[in-house]
Amino acid sequence: MSPAALFAAIYVPNFILQAIGRCEPELRTRPLAIIDGPPPTYQVVALNRLAEILGVARGMTKAAVTQFAHVTIRTRCRVREEAAHAALLDVAWSITPRVEDAAPDTLLIDISGLTTLFGDAEAIASEIASRASTFGMNVQAAVSANVETARIVARALPGPTIVPEGQERRFLETLPVSMLSPRQELSDIFERWGVTTCKALASLPVLALSECVGQEGVRLQAIASGKGIRPLLLAEPAQHFEEWFELDEAVDDLEALSFLLGRLLDQLSVRLSARALSIAAVRVNFELQPAFDHAFDTSCELLRVKPSARTFSCNLELPVPTRDSKLLLKLLRLRLQSRPPDAPIQKIRMAAQSSLARVTQGALFVPTAPDPDKLELTIARIASVVGERNVGSPQLLDSHRSDAFHMQKFSIAAAGVNTSESAAKHFTNNNLQNSSDHHSTTEAPVIALHVFRPPVPARVRLQGSKPAFASFQGCSGKVVHASGPWRSSGQWWEDQPWQEDAWDLEIIFSGESPARHGLYRFCYDGIQEKWLVRGVYD
Amino acid sequence: MYVELHARSAFSFLEGAATPEQLASTCSSLGMTSMTLLDRDGLYGAPRFYLAAQKIGIRAHIGAEVTCVQGWRYPLLVTSPEGYKNLCRLITRMKLRAAKGEGAVETKELESASGGLICLTGGDEGPLAYALRTAGREGVRRCLEQLSVVFGRENVYVELQRHFSIEEERRNRVAIELAGSLHLPLLATNGVCHALPVQREILDVFTCLRHHRVLSNAGRLLSCNSERYLKSPLQMNALFADLPEAIANTEELAARLQFTLKDLGYKFPIYSTPNHQSQMDFLRDRTRDGMIHRYGAQNERATLQIQRELALIEKLDLAGYFLIVWDIVRFCRENNILVQGRGSAANSAVCYSLGITAVDPVGMNLLFERFLSEERGEWPDIDLDLPSGDQRERAIQYVYERYGKLGAAMTANVITYRGKSAAREIGKVLSFDPETLNRLASLVSAWEYTDSNDTLTRQFKDAGLDLSNHRILKFFELCQKVQDLPRHLGQHSGGMVVCQGQLDSVVPLEPATMPGRVVVQWDKEDCADMGIVKVDLLGLGMMAVLEDSIQLIRAHNKEEIDLGLLPQDDEKVYSALQRADTIGLFQVESRAQMSCLPRLKPKCFYDIVVQVAIIRPGPIVGKMVHPYLNRRQGREAVESLHPSLESTLSRTLGVPLFQEQLLRIAMIAAGFSGGEAEELRRAFGFKRSEARMKEVEIKLRHGMENQGIIGGTQDKIVQAITSFALYGFPESHAASFALIAYASAFLKCHYLAAFTAAMLNNQPMGFYQPATLIKDAQRHGLKFKPIDITRSQWLCTIEESAEGLLVRVGLRYVKGLRKETALQILAQRNRQPFTSIEDLKQRVPHLQKDEMRVLASIGALNFISSKARMHRRSALWQVERAGRPAGVLFEAHVRTDDSDRSSLFSPLDPMNDQERLIADFHGTGLTTGHHPMTQHRVHLNRSGVSPASRLGSLRDGSLVRVAGAVIVRQRPGTAKGFVFLSLEDETGVANIIITPQLFERDHTVVVHNSFLMIEGVLQNQDGVISVKAGIIKPFHLTSAAAPAHDFH
Repeated sequence: MSPAALFAAIYVPNFILQAIGRCEPELRTRPLAIIDGPPPTYQVVALNRLAEILGVARGMTKAAVTQFAHVTIRTRCRVREEAAHAALLDVAWSITPRVEDAAPDTLLIDISGLTTLFGDAEAIASEIASRASTFGMNVQAAVSANVETARIVARALPGPTIVPEGQERRFLETLPVSMLSPRQELSDIFERWGVTTCKALASLPVLALSECVGQEGVRLQAIASGKGIRPLLLAEPAQHFEEWFELDEAVDDLEALSFLLGRLLDQLSVRLSARALSIAAVRVNFELQPAFDHAFDTSCELLRVKPSARTFSCNLELPVPTRDSKLLLKLLRLRLQSRPPDAPIQKIRMAAQSSLARVTQGALFVPTAPDPDKLELTIARIASVVGERNVGSPQLLDSHRSDAFHMQKFSIAAAGVNTSESAAKHFTNNNLQNSSDHHSTTEAPVIALHVFRPPVPARVRLQGSKPAFASFQGCSGKVVHASGPWRSSGQWWEDQPWQEDAWDLEIIFSGESPARHGLYRFCYDGIQEKWLVRGVYD
Repeated sequence: MYVELHARSAFSFLEGAATPEQLASTCSSLGMTSMTLLDRDGLYGAPRFYLAAQKIGIRAHIGAEVTCVQGWRYPLLVTSPEGYKNLCRLITRMKLRAAKGEGAVETKELESASGGLICLTGGDEGPLAYALRTAGREGVRRCLEQLSVVFGRENVYVELQRHFSIEEERRNRVAIELAGSLHLPLLATNGVCHALPVQREILDVFTCLRHHRVLSNAGRLLSCNSERYLKSPLQMNALFADLPEAIANTEELAARLQFTLKDLGYKFPIYSTPNHQSQMDFLRDRTRDGMIHRYGAQNERATLQIQRELALIEKLDLAGYFLIVWDIVRFCRENNILVQGRGSAANSAVCYSLGITAVDPVGMNLLFERFLSEERGEWPDIDLDLPSGDQRERAIQYVYERYGKLGAAMTANVITYRGKSAAREIGKVLSFDPETLNRLASLVSAWEYTDSNDTLTRQFKDAGLDLSNHRILKFFELCQKVQDLPRHLGQHSGGMVVCQGQLDSVVPLEPATMPGRVVVQWDKEDCADMGIVKVDLLGLGMMAVLEDSIQLIRAHNKEEIDLGLLPQDDEKVYSALQRADTIGLFQVESRAQMSCLPRLKPKCFYDIVVQVAIIRPGPIVGKMVHPYLNRRQGREAVESLHPSLESTLSRTLGVPLFQEQLLRIAMIAAGFSGGEAEELRRAFGFKRSEARMKEVEIKLRHGMENQGIIGGTQDKIVQAITSFALYGFPESHAASFALIAYASAFLKCHYLAAFTAAMLNNQPMGFYQPATLIKDAQRHGLKFKPIDITRSQWLCTIEESAEGLLVRVGLRYVKGLRKETALQILAQRNRQPFTSIEDLKQRVPHLQKDEMRVLASIGALNFISSKARMHRRSALWQVERAGRPAGVLFEAHVRTDDSDRSSLFSPLDPMNDQERLIADFHGTGLTTGHHPMTQHRVHLNRSGVSPASRLGSLRDGSLVRVAGAVIVRQRPGTAKGFVFLSLEDETGVANIIITPQLFERDHTVVVHNSFLMIEGVLQNQDGVISVKAGIIKPFHLTSAAAPAHDFH
């Protein structure tokens, strides 16, 4: 065999469809349409021949496709496309390390000198097709001494195609110029010129063409003539680490799940270790078994509008990157213990965010902080007991609702700053502080409100519209002074609006000697129609 | 008794959520006797508030919140006419010196303008709150003392508001204490921003729009609660039970507010006559001169009518008004600006004699009372039609010059929240993603007609949206609530108000977006309601066409056309109208008009008046069209509603078609006076109220009973009047339009080249796209020349050739070619012809590559070289070469070699017919070549497709197949869901009718395809030819097609 350069192109026709069919092979024998687009404007982006025969066409809306009773509709799944692409790369890398990742559906590989391994060009092309089919994909392969010719022919012609050296132009001449993937501007120029085929482009005088459309035009013309030569741009190894696990039988036991999670974490850890990287974050997505009430409802419309809890995710963000898979497993277990999924798990998808390993130590004069790993573990343990939403640093929300806040993730670095900031905000927001008049704050004594979280249920008797008697937590007493109501309401645009009347009440508790006075913040929840004690003034 | 003295309406633009009318009616229902409207920096809502209050019997106090440069707002209440003038001038001053929508007063300005005004200390935005925030208690004291100095101690009230806010209560305590120590009165108000508690939601949405936020991140910018609604005296008494004097003071202060908008102080300017002649005498003289010219000296009827009119004009002291309008018309005449009065002015013989209108009301027996009546007590309405564009602007500028900057202004146009724009803004505030937003906005249907199945539920389901979603439901609720609330102030297209003296003391003025323009804060209707005289200077595209046509005829046909002297019985005109050959004609070119013309067969001018008026919602809804046409064709007996109405209805064969007839019916059958009849029309007009309609109906019935008209006849007459009053077309208006329609038909029939060129130069206008106008003119024998850079001007021009006059399409039709670049091309060409594309590029450096590409692709560069003609692809090849810089090294070489380069052979094949057609449509939206259907005719004939021109010769009921480009799609509101298409082929236009069921089935095919093939049953009735579609298919022949005139 001659040592001359030889390239193969691998092209997956109807890639979007094949990416779906690869995971669900049974769909290949049914009319299938893949839809995509923003939720209300779904359109068909791919379909198989069976669907086409029934009258489905690209660009049809979902509503139009649903009129074809026999057509199965699937939503485009980019994760599956990524997986299919990764698989395609695996196919290529199983042949040669010299691979160019030309497009999600197209790879170019250098097969020079491989004839001793696989046989002649035809045999290599067939081998590629055969290996791809074991990965669940039908591909079109083409072999040529010219890499661009191989790429174009693979996209244009079905089946393994061998372009004999010197015959490139003949193979290309009937193909449309669009196969050369020109830039939009050039494409428009060719269209205006009436240059529609590779032959027409190839026949233009080179110099004049160069004057008109520059070097890009000349390059395309060379490709159209089967003459363009270029080296392969070799694909870089992926930076994305992801593992999938699909279970035949759904798992609902944490022990069994821990075993699987441990295995996935080990795999990820080993892969990252090999590249001297650590794990900065782990994202685990569980696909859950459909709940009984959803089992018979396959209407995508319903799923879209009311997203059912069919997926469950659990994320770990680590304060410092680690490779310790046992620590990660413990954290994941604690997370799952405190907030378990509400249905058995069918599928696990674990993705690791990589980061360089920690190589520096803490500064000499900085006070010692807890070990980040241990702190994270401790916080996770607390969260498993009190609930995830109840751990962290509080941050006040911009709202008229008194005491509206949410919990932010606690971190040592931000803790100092957060505390002072939130204290300052609280100071400015607190209704009890006369924020509008700093003069009066110096005149009036500052009193603090100890807030009850959650607020304490209370019973209040009114006289006219004012509270006259209040009882809560086993104490009761007469209201001697009432100030209010301070009325607020909001979020009327949400499912759960709020509306409350706050009162500052001075109460003399009965049955105690000497009589005990108390100054409380009460509120009446207008939506739930309940009285609550929000706090007590010091 | 509590009186609300601080309320904002939606005219505070995004700071209030209720209309003035809503506030007034809520106020009345709460038992309050008066109320004050204080909108932000303006009196925008004042007239509506005043009129609404007047109607329900409460007093409307006027005022405004005026922003000062430091940021707070002074709530100012008007006590006297002086105060009103001061307030108007203050607002005008601050507005005119700032950009649109901005402006603030200096405190020192208040000192000179405080007379007649009362100042409150305001709520959150008031001076007191601002002082407390920035300088504490001492600041408040200083603020109150300063206000007392500026406005006088007796004119400052310390305002207290209670919205259950702890913050506000603290402020109140400081205010009460200091008011006591400074001996200032307390005043309770509720700082109202909406009429009802539920409108707080709208207010929150507005707040978000104002601050460019969404509800979820607006936080404390939103209202704290819903307490800023209009509260009853009982509620307010309870709120201020501890401060009864604050409540009592409201009544006391209300009693001091003596000013109402009744005392506006508006005076119409006096026309200065020569030789100190009185205005009335001068008018009499001008009218007499005009009458002799129009009627001749001996016309007794005209003389009597004019005398009657002049007597009334004198009685109502309106001579000045007529003279001012006459003056504008005179200016237009002297400056060769075509002008014609329309509207009810056409009912006046004085207007006709003065040359304001062109319709003879005496000859046509028009009703003068429709124009002017003693009872109505309002200014007459004269609208002047002018050619749209620069000519109209000249007339407007003349009025400004004549009456001064503060003596004349445009009326405002209140832009309200409507349809899609409202949906989009509310969706944004509710944080819908852009796609859902588009989806939701599209649900606010663009269809004029929606069938009964188009329920909200179905629309939502079709759009894939969940109705049970709280947010989506809120979206629709809000969309409905926000409809018609004011959004911002625009400028009315032509309404001008003029004033004797200072207009800025009558109504505040503002700068308009257009430089040099000033607008008043009230819209046209409000100005009319307030008795301010307006003159409408309206731009009419067809007037511009007529004017341009006259000039082209003068230049090329060497004839002078006087529209007033056109022969009235031109055979060609009536023949074209009878055949519905009316593409491009004024008012009679629509599809509905075309289907009516062959049945109505106009034979005289009055028939055109009827034709213009008959295809209107009034006659259609009132089911008058068919009876009229049947009677005209002798298929139905001519019967009047009542024998006494015979003379009134005889001209329209017993069928009421015009508003004037309706008024006459009321006058004859129910004994109404002219003014009462006009009152009836207004009661049923746009601002109709059920109660008022009922009232008028009772009066009408009572009047008819007195005349002995009872039972079924009475019901019939009432039915005719009620169903017709809203939509009926005034006869005078129809006559004015008919004149223009006739003139356009005359010019089209006799001077097709000039008329078509003028039409093409005034696009967009009318019903049809330029492509259709050209094809229609070609079918009438006119030849066109394509755009050629060596010959074309910016506008379409007329060229003289051996074959006669032909039209050269102008550069304005080259898509993407900027006017200034085109003018540079023309300037360079005039200096020296271009020799090559390279030469063109070098001499017009601003010419961009895309512009050159379009020019080349449409063949405009084919003749650029005098040596040889290029084909379009050759030009495209050269353009690409010319567009690329040669680089410094080769620049000199290129320059010397230019001529060789341009004559170089291009390796590209010429375009074929199909490609040329596509390039024409892509580059210009029209073609002067063959119709896209022409080249397929042989094939179409074989497939049994009839050309449009053959349909007329086929039998009614026969099955036909037609194909063509869709030029019009319509689904009129009055057609019960039927869709009408116009399909154009090279022989003419075929009219297609699609049933609602078929449309529902083939909706996508009908809406999304440029070319259609339709099979159906031919309807050939009375010369009206249409095809009732049975099968609709897309017809794929080329991507070239002009956009259709869709669903208008």
